[in-house]
Amino acid sequence: MAAGAQIIDDLLRPDVNADPHQALARLRELDSIHWSEPHRAWLATRYNDISEAYRNRALSSDRVRPLLAMSKDENEQSAATTRVRELLSQWMVVSDPPQHTRLRRLAAGAFKQQRIVDMNQRIQQLVDDLLDRFIAEGHTDLIEHLAYPLPAIVIAEMLGAPQEDRDRFRHWSDELALVAFGAGGDAREERHERALRGMEEMVAFFRELIELRRREPGDDMLTAMMAGDGSGDELTEDELVAMCALLLFAGHETTTNSIANGIVALLQHPDQLALLREEPDLISSAVEELLRFDGPIKVINRWVTQDTELAGQQIRAGERVYLVLSAANRDSAKFTDPDALDLRRSPNPHIAFGKGIHACLGAQLARLETRIAIGSVVRRLPGLRLAGELSYKESLAARALRRLPVAHDAQPTHR
Amino acid sequence: MKIIADSSRCEGHAQCNIADPDLFPLNEDGYTAITDAGMQVPPDEERQAQQGVSACPVAALRLID
Repeated sequence: MAAGAQIIDDLLRPDVNADPHQALARLRELDSIHWSEPHRAWLATRYNDISEAYRNRALSSDRVRPLLAMSKDENEQSAATTRVRELLSQWMVVSDPPQHTRLRRLAAGAFKQQRIVDMNQRIQQLVDDLLDRFIAEGHTDLIEHLAYPLPAIVIAEMLGAPQEDRDRFRHWSDELALVAFGAGGDAREERHERALRGMEEMVAFFRELIELRRREPGDDMLTAMMAGDGSGDELTEDELVAMCALLLFAGHETTTNSIANGIVALLQHPDQLALLREEPDLISSAVEELLRFDGPIKVINRWVTQDTELAGQQIRAGERVYLVLSAANRDSAKFTDPDALDLRRSPNPHIAFGKGIHACLGAQLARLETRIAIGSVVRRLPGLRLAGELSYKESLAARALRRLPVAHDAQPTHR
Repeated sequence: MKIIADSSRCEGHAQCNIADPDLFPLNEDGYTAITDAGMQVPPDEERQAQQGVSACPVAALRLID
């Protein structure tokens, strides 16, 4: 069929991985619920279909426990893989109701808006320090020196980790990212062995921190989560450890990417960058648009647990569905002139943070960090320009640059 | 102060719930669980109520005194 010849459905093909939007536009237009052989999954690319999918109970988030159960039966997985999967399987992001409901309820209090808002000055201070060093030491990579360290330090502080331990946080989330996002195959065993060492260190650290907070409750998120929701139900120690690991992992690379992708989009649209320089108060609206335009998560994964239907397409239990958020966010059925970057766009009901019961719990924190980081970069680095090639990590889920090489005209000086 | 939710406008973005899960409960589908009766806001939580209302990307929420 002629239409089929135009469709590219291997999102990991290097050219598509580097710039997905054309391929996604064709899928969205020509075959909105498309079976992809390379991915062995259905690709959903329209905003309305993905919105419906988010509340379709036949689409499950429980995608680690089945792996654990499966290979335990077949006695195939190594000890390392088992331990890694056991930790990940407790994450609410890979759970369905009622487990998910309980975990989310017990954690949600720790993310209440006021706690996030109170971090404003501290995050500004951290960004200022990182940019001072970036300028003074003549660095060029805004990921290594700003977008990558910032979110890990922020979550470490919010969890109440002592100052001297905060640097270790950065590397633990890398280990988790390797196992959670990595591709399959033989490399998986090896990756799990390496990751396990880092994870064991992290688990031991969190257990100690939990002990400390039992003796000395603080003002921090961990203490808040340990307090429970007043119903008498509490997170167990294993659940607390798993939750701390999830918060670290979930809030690190994603926030790094929202900052980096946002800066790149601005640099590629100089008129919009100029607008933001002239009107810094546009930053909130700007960040929403940058998240819509090129957000940190391309694809969200669901397992089909019951035969169902999506936009008239029959979907069978056992199959997988990829909700392609970055396609939804460019859907002309929802957004006027969707491929234009318009920092004043309003309303902007993008789904970069997902929707429904699994909508990103850290969204307000992510927004705050991204606004402060991008706002400060625009303010303090005049003449900001790209100074190298952009190379994207090979990833289905994440829109992730390896480096963000820039040049600028700021002089080392007291801010 | 009371929160009024327009369930016909609600699209399930859940941004209100993320701001304050107690003032802005969701149903099992991730849409607002605030009924036509509205949600009463305790006197010391007015700021949180405002934050939640303004977090909605489709303006489905408002406050009345």
